Amino acid sequence: MNRGVGGGLFAFSYTLLFFLFLFGPLIIMVITAFNSSAFPRVVPWECFTTDWFGLLIRNERLMTGLWTSLAIGIAVVAIAVPFGLAGALALADIGPRLRAGLYAVLITPILIPGVVLGISTIVFWSFVGRKLGAGYDTVFYNGLFLTLLGQVAFIASYAMLILSARLQRFDPTLTEAALDLGATPGQAFRKILLPFLKPALGSAAFITFLASFENYNTTVFTILSGNTFTTALASKVRHGTDPSLSALAVIIIAVTLIGAMVQEAHHRRRDLLRGGRPERSRLYANPLTRLLTHPAAILLILVGCTGAIIWQASHHDAQACRADILSEKQRVQERLLQEQQQRMQQRQTQTPAAPTAPSNNPSPFGGAFNPGSLAPK
Amino acid sequence: MTSLARFSRDFSSRHGTGAASFVVAAVLFWIVFLILLPQLAMLDVSFRHNLPRPEVGGPRDVHTLDNYRYFLFGNSGGAALNALDIGVLTKTLVAAVLVTVLDILLCYPIAFILAHSASGAGARLMVIGLIVPFWINDILRAFAFRILFGATGVINGVGLSLGLWDQPIDFIRADVALYAGLAYTYVLLMVFSIYNAVETLDRNQIEAARDMGASWWRVHWRIVLPVAKPGIASGATMVFMLTAGALAAPQILGGPSNLWFTQLIYQWFNDAGDWARGSAYATILLVVCLAFVFLMMRIFRVSIGAIGR
Repeated sequence: MNRGVGGGLFAFSYTLLFFLFLFGPLIIMVITAFNSSAFPRVVPWECFTTDWFGLLIRNERLMTGLWTSLAIGIAVVAIAVPFGLAGALALADIGPRLRAGLYAVLITPILIPGVVLGISTIVFWSFVGRKLGAGYDTVFYNGLFLTLLGQVAFIASYAMLILSARLQRFDPTLTEAALDLGATPGQAFRKILLPFLKPALGSAAFITFLASFENYNTTVFTILSGNTFTTALASKVRHGTDPSLSALAVIIIAVTLIGAMVQEAHHRRRDLLRGGRPERSRLYANPLTRLLTHPAAILLILVGCTGAIIWQASHHDAQACRADILSEKQRVQERLLQEQQQRMQQRQTQTPAAPTAPSNNPSPFGGAFNPGSLAPK
Repeated sequence: MTSLARFSRDFSSRHGTGAASFVVAAVLFWIVFLILLPQLAMLDVSFRHNLPRPEVGGPRDVHTLDNYRYFLFGNSGGAALNALDIGVLTKTLVAAVLVTVLDILLCYPIAFILAHSASGAGARLMVIGLIVPFWINDILRAFAFRILFGATGVINGVGLSLGLWDQPIDFIRADVALYAGLAYTYVLLMVFSIYNAVETLDRNQIEAARDMGASWWRVHWRIVLPVAKPGIASGATMVFMLTAGALAAPQILGGPSNLWFTQLIYQWFNDAGDWARGSAYATILLVVCLAFVFLMMRIFRVSIGAIGR
């Protein structure tokens, strides 16, 4: 394929290694979500359990943060996408001399560190609030409002980049034709330009929502004393970890994979239809398989499978296995303790050693391990 | 101002008055209230004392260079440099450069393969494989690296059981986990930046060079790299700025004694409650990073217009 330009075997093995690097950490995290060990790890494997999912859902701080994040995300989409659209339109129509300058200004929020954006936002709005004589209960000291402004400042730039890319492929003669045929400029804007931008508006809304939901650097400052999902998550990770975070990753990965598969099905179907010969494909000859290749059908099947797995898993009980592990641990601990006592006794042979007390032994196997039977000979 | 008026007149004749006033109002609000004034306010606060609220605006509320002096000299009053904070800034910048270079080396081959070797289903699978890991939250990604690199983590487990080393290695303290995690986080940005540039390369140029007997590294050096350069510059700029400004990954993966500069800012701002000094440190970070990026752009002869394309 690529005669000697890094093609063939090298390309294949490099790609393989690269994707191993990308997916390795995720796979390991997913495995830890099902290990009953209280510290997230793969080895030693203790028990298969689904309890961490329950623990995750019962975490109130995360769940309230989730609702806050959703609200902020929707508001950010509602503001950042129109701003991005305005920026893209201005860039497309402004004179070439000003364009470079405007582009540089509108792209800088992406380059400015999120920490700096967060700080500057709260400093500025508290300054405004102070000048207006507003109290601490006003909008200028409201974490949600400040987060919204801080996030829009740079997320609108993402929207602008996406919309600009689409706008560059717009044929301005379409608008001119509409104007020539008697449309008002407003009509041409609404009926020609906006419909052309619709797919890009969709993906811009999607990306802006995601960026808002995931943002940490700016939000951790602007949210003040509140919490979004991501900041709650971060403080949880910083102050001790448990596998319920792995459980969260499992949920996100599952949703993503389902989304990716449905998207792929949608692409294939569109390519097939666009190819103009859907009848020739064997899948389309049969009405049942044709129905099954529809993205909605695939989504239904995947969601159904996931639901079944969740239902099955929620009835899994790891109690017995946990109890076994616990007693195993106690046994080991017991043995170590007794070995230690044994050594102590040997060391001070002159003094009568305190006898070990097997009577108040908490282990169910306590009697089986007499100090004498385990003592080093 | 006249050019602005001309712009809005032209624009409204093409797209209507409603659209024109919306565009002008939105862009102005965005630039003035969300970008420009907040940065100026931060700059202003960074030159002030940290005063209790009743004294703000009073006679003691004057401009000062104290916060910047503190960054340079600490409490020594000019006698000795503040080695700690300057060291943290230097380390952050060096580490960010390291992570950026690592990402370029990692991503260039993948971008090239994606653009010129993979085709059809394979390419689509690669794109999905690239995007899926980046749906997962930053925090969770850092968490995954903590599981991977921890004292009882998978890498230590494998290394110990294979007998490669006999004591658990503290990857967290050595910052290996942090660099790996940061490089991982920005792989996607770098791959797509380089991909966008490399994709425009005409395959025939490679074929021609090969036919004339150029070796594979010569083909890359003389033909592919010049085309990829704007993409590499764009990706490197973003990765560098994001890495230098990263906060979550250093907080989670950083060693207990190694601070990232953003963590210093965070400490001044949130833990010490000193907005003025926090603002000063934030300004220092912003200025130093931007200066570094512009210097690099000048050296490699790339314009800012290449970024984000």
